[in-house]
Amino acid sequence: MIGVLKSMATTMKHALDGSTFTVEYPSTAPDVSPRFRGVHKFSQERCIWCRQCENVCPNDTIQIVMDDKRNGEQYNLHIGQCIYCRLCEEVCPVDAILLTQNFEFTGDTKHDLVYNKEELKSVPWYKDIDPLESREPDRGAWIGEGDGEVDYQ
Amino acid sequence: MSTGTESEVEPELTQPASGTDEAELEALLGDRAIAREEHLNAPGFVINPNDVQAVLSDLRDEAGYDHLSCVTAQQYEDRYESIYHLKKFADPTDELSIVVPTTTENPVSQSAEPVFRTADWHEREAYDLIGVEYEGHPDLRRILLPETWQGHPLSKDYDQEKPQLVTLTEHQNPIQPDHREADSDTMFLNIGPHHPATHGVLHVETVLDGETVADVEPDIGYLHRCEEQMCQSGTYRHQIMPYPDRWDYVSAGLLNEWAYARAIEDLADVEVPEYAQVIRTMGAELCRIASHMLALGTFALDVYGEFTATFMYTFRDREVIQDLLEDLTGQRMMFNYFRVGGVAWDLPEPREEFFAQARDFLDELPAKVAEYHDLITGNEIFQTRCIDTGVLEPDVAKSYGCTGPVVRGSGVDYDLRRDDPYGYYDQLDWDVITRDGCDNYARVLCRMEEVEESAKIIEQCLDLLEEWPEDERDVQANVPRTLKPDADTEIYRAVEGAKGELGIYIRSDGTDKPGRFKIRSPCFSNLQALAEMSEGEYIPDLIASLGSLDIVLGEVDR
Amino acid sequence: MNAATTTPLQSDVLLPERLGDLTGLNEFGLAGELLSTLIGAVIVGSLILAMTAVAGPWAKRKITASFTDRISINQIGPAGIGIIIADAVRMLSKENIIPENADRPAYDLAPIVIVGSALLGFAVIPMGSGIQLADPEVGLAFAFAVAGIASIGLVMAGYSSGNKYSLLGGLRAVAQNVAYEIPLVVTGMSVVLFAGSLQMSTIVEAQAEPLVDLGVVAIPQWYALVNPFAFVLFLIANFAEVGRNPFDMPEAPAELVAGYQTEYSSVYFVLVYLGEFLHIFLGGAIISTIFLGGPAGPGPAALGIVWFTLKIWGVFFLTQWLRSAVPRVRIDQLIEIGWKGLLVLSFANLGLTAAIVGVIA
Repeated sequence: MIGVLKSMATTMKHALDGSTFTVEYPSTAPDVSPRFRGVHKFSQERCIWCRQCENVCPNDTIQIVMDDKRNGEQYNLHIGQCIYCRLCEEVCPVDAILLTQNFEFTGDTKHDLVYNKEELKSVPWYKDIDPLESREPDRGAWIGEGDGEVDYQ
Repeated sequence: MSTGTESEVEPELTQPASGTDEAELEALLGDRAIAREEHLNAPGFVINPNDVQAVLSDLRDEAGYDHLSCVTAQQYEDRYESIYHLKKFADPTDELSIVVPTTTENPVSQSAEPVFRTADWHEREAYDLIGVEYEGHPDLRRILLPETWQGHPLSKDYDQEKPQLVTLTEHQNPIQPDHREADSDTMFLNIGPHHPATHGVLHVETVLDGETVADVEPDIGYLHRCEEQMCQSGTYRHQIMPYPDRWDYVSAGLLNEWAYARAIEDLADVEVPEYAQVIRTMGAELCRIASHMLALGTFALDVYGEFTATFMYTFRDREVIQDLLEDLTGQRMMFNYFRVGGVAWDLPEPREEFFAQARDFLDELPAKVAEYHDLITGNEIFQTRCIDTGVLEPDVAKSYGCTGPVVRGSGVDYDLRRDDPYGYYDQLDWDVITRDGCDNYARVLCRMEEVEESAKIIEQCLDLLEEWPEDERDVQANVPRTLKPDADTEIYRAVEGAKGELGIYIRSDGTDKPGRFKIRSPCFSNLQALAEMSEGEYIPDLIASLGSLDIVLGEVDR
Repeated sequence: MNAATTTPLQSDVLLPERLGDLTGLNEFGLAGELLSTLIGAVIVGSLILAMTAVAGPWAKRKITASFTDRISINQIGPAGIGIIIADAVRMLSKENIIPENADRPAYDLAPIVIVGSALLGFAVIPMGSGIQLADPEVGLAFAFAVAGIASIGLVMAGYSSGNKYSLLGGLRAVAQNVAYEIPLVVTGMSVVLFAGSLQMSTIVEAQAEPLVDLGVVAIPQWYALVNPFAFVLFLIANFAEVGRNPFDMPEAPAELVAGYQTEYSSVYFVLVYLGEFLHIFLGGAIISTIFLGGPAGPGPAALGIVWFTLKIWGVFFLTQWLRSAVPRVRIDQLIEIGWKGLLVLSFANLGLTAAIVGVIA
């Protein structure tokens, strides 16, 4: 009986102190850590079309199409299939592909989640965090290139 | 409880035990050993398919190999092969591989099930995925794939492109009336695959006599995602590491990654920098706490019913760990933080902030554990529910190959972190928790005390990391861009995951991808013991026992 | 003590009669009496249903959330109270899925039986401020009897759903109700020994006398204070009777999915769900009436209904508190506690009370 009362007292203590640990999600945007891996952002300016990201991707999420002169034409990434392992960012020699902190994305069908290079370019930064700078400060950051947030080209 | 002797003998046995008693083993096996093989982790004896039971029971009774850790089956160009990975509960570094080859035309081999109960499911899996048949197996059916599946997916002649079309008429009709044994006194009840207490998509076929459980048979495979095959088609260097996170997906990602890291590092002979080992140890123990918190919370759900305070409190504490891990690894659950030869990143900057957060968590932990004891374990109703229910005797647990908190709750002192040391564990001060109760209560207490031990380990790691000289902070060894271990090198390596012994067997075929990648999942072996624990008890005890095993279906089905 | 001097509003005139007086319906003989009774019943019923509507979708969530450190509903209306309307619309507009194997008339009747039995019980409860529909001499026995009918509803629901989990839940409900009805009634009897009557109003009046007079405040002779042992026994038996933690066997989420209510959806689910709350409130009402002085409390007698509601909500709050803090016992343990523990204790309590009352008298 003492044990039962003790457990009741424990829960009552929590009820009375009034503190909560849940957040009201849409109105309170959660803090994500600088290393958090969200949707990709791609810069055609930087890309040298070396296809390393395509090769390293564990589940063939990245698809690159080049013309016969090895000029890049398409860069498609299925963000619904991606497992967010960050290997593409890790192998990229020129930081042309980054994983932003942005985790808020939707699509009505799974085809909506196939992003081409334009869509990948316009992925917004989450809370203005530049992932590259926060992850590895000694490498050049993306934010600050060009005038606006997205306008790095 | 602990005999204490293993830990004293252990330092001399850190080498793979190939030298221990090979002459004796050879004498014991006599001419039943038709050839020798050498695996990186253990000596191997090749035996005749008809000698399996005799050899294994001799090895168990006379040489002390009482732990059938894993059964790996694979197909070569000219033969099928089953490998029985044997260990000793008293000393898991003393390993032995029994290799049983069979011809391609007639892949029949004797079953090990009469000797080790755990071989039951392992051999069913081998039959299901590879196609080796086991003579004398009590119930050789498919286990992961549906009954109607055509072919054996990991065998050489399997056509992966061919779609598997099974019409509803060919299949068992799911809505046809089912009056099996209409005149019997028992009731057949499907618990799952959609049921609030099965912790995922598990189907437990139960036969009830009133409220008493007369027969239990777990039916698994609903979450089978071809993890072994996926790893076999990924490169060692990069592409395999993201997947272990998805076996035991709830919290134990880093522990799973370590299983692969350990296997590949030993296979490719990669030396990991000490600094990275300390970070790994800390991260892995954080994962263990998170995983045990979840186990405690869901167990409380099974015993309390509905959304209880315990569940939310454990989630609140797990959330703190997840924040720490997110800062460290960049993801809350699918970490992909380990790399072959180290870890992806050093601690997050500013380091002081990370240390402060981690230490805050550790400082608050004792109060929280005390609160759990007040809330759960001290509660008399909880005690009447859990003490002496779901009893798993140590011998039974060993025979089923149970590991982790399940076997430690049955009083078997077996923890790979201490007995087969890896990482930085052997240089830290901590204890292995065992409990004698053998019941659900013992398993719960075991997990709660392990949380405290993990906290001790993390604390020591934090001390080490804080004082580590700045110019020696190597997080990765220099590993070649492509790893191509020599052809036909074989290794089986296990780590102590949150649920128990998580082992990886890799056979290299000379390319940059594994020839065979086999996962020994602790949940798979532990779940087998469910029938033993719950038959003759009541439905609520069946549910509680299932909760106390702490299975994750992602790891059971892989 | 004379009833008339203490609470003139309470027991002298029943609600239907007063309504009859107010509206002049009494002039029309039997028909008028029936009509005024009906109006009274509608008033009482609405009051109770309004309470369950607040408790079910809103209070339960809020209380559970505060125990589990969560925020919970807060979007519609102040403190999320608007969820009541939202939930009502949502539940009622859903498709009522009736399983193919359902045993039709029983399946449809079960929710009505569950709700109806609880509502009937409120007919004899004196809720203060003159709200009481009827005051028969066997009031307490009547309340127990109709509350007991609920278990028939549970069995019907469990059996007719054509689902094995429902069946198990229904069977558990019977075993549980049989085991706990007896201790409940026997413990209730000890109160009757004190009051000397089964009539609810008499029991309430008997509790109005002061137990200890401290000069400034007089602690009334509530039977919970006179015989706390019986009060605790009754509380425990009541939790089992209404199937709440730690005795929520018939429902047993996690084990039996949702027990007898597994196959109910839409309107039927609303009824079954409300039925649970109605039974908690009826249990609370009986406890308040026979142990906590009914509508008695400081302030004018017109505040009776407020005090009475507070007491019922106190019991409801206790059920929710236990739900978050206490594990469920096993079915065999439940039966054991019922037959070997509570039954013996309740008879001991009855015997002891009888002896004490006999000596004093």
